[in-house]
Amino acid sequence: MNVYTIGRKGGLAMNVVMKEKKVVNYKSCFDVIGPVMIGPSSSHTAGALAIGVVANKLLQGLPKKVVVKYYESFAETHKGHGTDFAIIAGVLGFATDDSRVPNSIKIANSQGIDIAFVEEAGDSPAGHPNTADIYLENDQRSIRVVGISVGGGLIKVKHIEIDGFSLKLEGSLPILIAISEKLNLELELGRIFKTYNVEINDSQNLKKDGKYLYAYNLESKLSNEAHQELNNLKDIANIIIL
Amino acid sequence: MEVTKASYEEIWQKMEKNLETMENAVNKSIEGDGVFSPTGLTGGDAVKIKKYREAGKTLSGDLMMLGVQNAVGTNEVNAAMGVICATPTAGASGTIPGVLFAIKDTLKLTRKDQIHFLFTTALFGMVVANNACIAGAMGGCQAEVGSASAMAAAAAVEAAGGTPEQSAHAFSTALQNLLGLVCDPVAGLVEIPCVKRNAVGTANALVAADLALADVKNLIDADEVIEAMYRVGRRMPRELRETGLGGVAATPTGIAIRNKIFGKDK
Repeated sequence: MNVYTIGRKGGLAMNVVMKEKKVVNYKSCFDVIGPVMIGPSSSHTAGALAIGVVANKLLQGLPKKVVVKYYESFAETHKGHGTDFAIIAGVLGFATDDSRVPNSIKIANSQGIDIAFVEEAGDSPAGHPNTADIYLENDQRSIRVVGISVGGGLIKVKHIEIDGFSLKLEGSLPILIAISEKLNLELELGRIFKTYNVEINDSQNLKKDGKYLYAYNLESKLSNEAHQELNNLKDIANIIIL
Repeated sequence: MEVTKASYEEIWQKMEKNLETMENAVNKSIEGDGVFSPTGLTGGDAVKIKKYREAGKTLSGDLMMLGVQNAVGTNEVNAAMGVICATPTAGASGTIPGVLFAIKDTLKLTRKDQIHFLFTTALFGMVVANNACIAGAMGGCQAEVGSASAMAAAAAVEAAGGTPEQSAHAFSTALQNLLGLVCDPVAGLVEIPCVKRNAVGTANALVAADLALADVKNLIDADEVIEAMYRVGRRMPRELRETGLGGVAATPTGIAIRNKIFGKDK
């Protein structure tokens, strides 16, 4: 795959606040007390659902085909922990406390979605016992996401494949991904980040076949105003907020 | 507020929703004959404990057994795929409500006090989660029920009017007492031994809180116990970290249950 990284210094990094610090995974009280969810496991059900939601957001529509590969603890306990229905619930875009969560596989089947679960025997490619690798496909596109469920419903996104791009990530959410054919997108994003004091922990730029992908690891959730401004870029870019 | 871009009221209301979820789960667990999981392995015990309490002959006292009842009840609802609040995890979701609803009448805690209690548990929990771990797959049950128990103990001391220092002693005592606890779910379900582990998580928290309120000190401080918990967790073999391959899951009965539910090959 023809993928390369444009150096951080040459790009946006100059315009926004970059800082050296420990990335704190659990940023909010509600990462620890919460989520409100359907049982039985926060890491294997709520966290798995969250990885499914990432896949849903990347595909931006319902899939025709779903392949889920499990590693380590996920491979051993996905049946007992309800991981299967949780991931599919996420792929369908359900919330953790949606009463349809336990019936998600039936719901997906009734919509003609083809689903396969694979238990991998080897170590996790992401180096974590709770690893799921989700592939989704429909007529418009195919995507892949490797997510880890780190506990209490919190996840990290370690690897994403979308629109021919392949990127590895530190993985803490929120993550903003923007894909466009227009190079000036970076300036637009920089302006929005500056206006709304969006703190960036890390960023990556990729270029492939005349398209640009920008990925930003954000320190905190975006304000409604920043969200709105990003939505206004829809005509020139595909903006995904994980 | 800085992180979530939410107002003070929104944050307060969100925690109140968490509290309501806990209350609903506890209430649901004692409706009729109780709730039962799809496998039938767990359920109905909260009702039994309630009846036992009502007879007035508990050995460890009514407050303690009320806590145990609420802890067991919450995890029965979790195993039955009901709605619960992860505290910090779903597998450990009974421990903190167990403590809170046991002490709220004795300490005359208002609704505001109860929400405050949950914020206190959350802040202690953030220290654990960001410096060690709260996932059984990473650190065993000590990271889940152990963390929940320590968080609840610290908040209980505060609710009872103890000092912040006493909260820290309660926290380190509770976590230290559950150090080394493995995660060994039978058939990979969140039922055996998880439901009863929450009963012990609640009881352990109440004991640790009482010790601290009696001004009994814990010489190993909270940060060091958290670090110790993390190191113990990292040295646990994967069989004992939420794979269902060790501990009680690997006993003849544990294996027989697994085979009965999922068939022999899995």
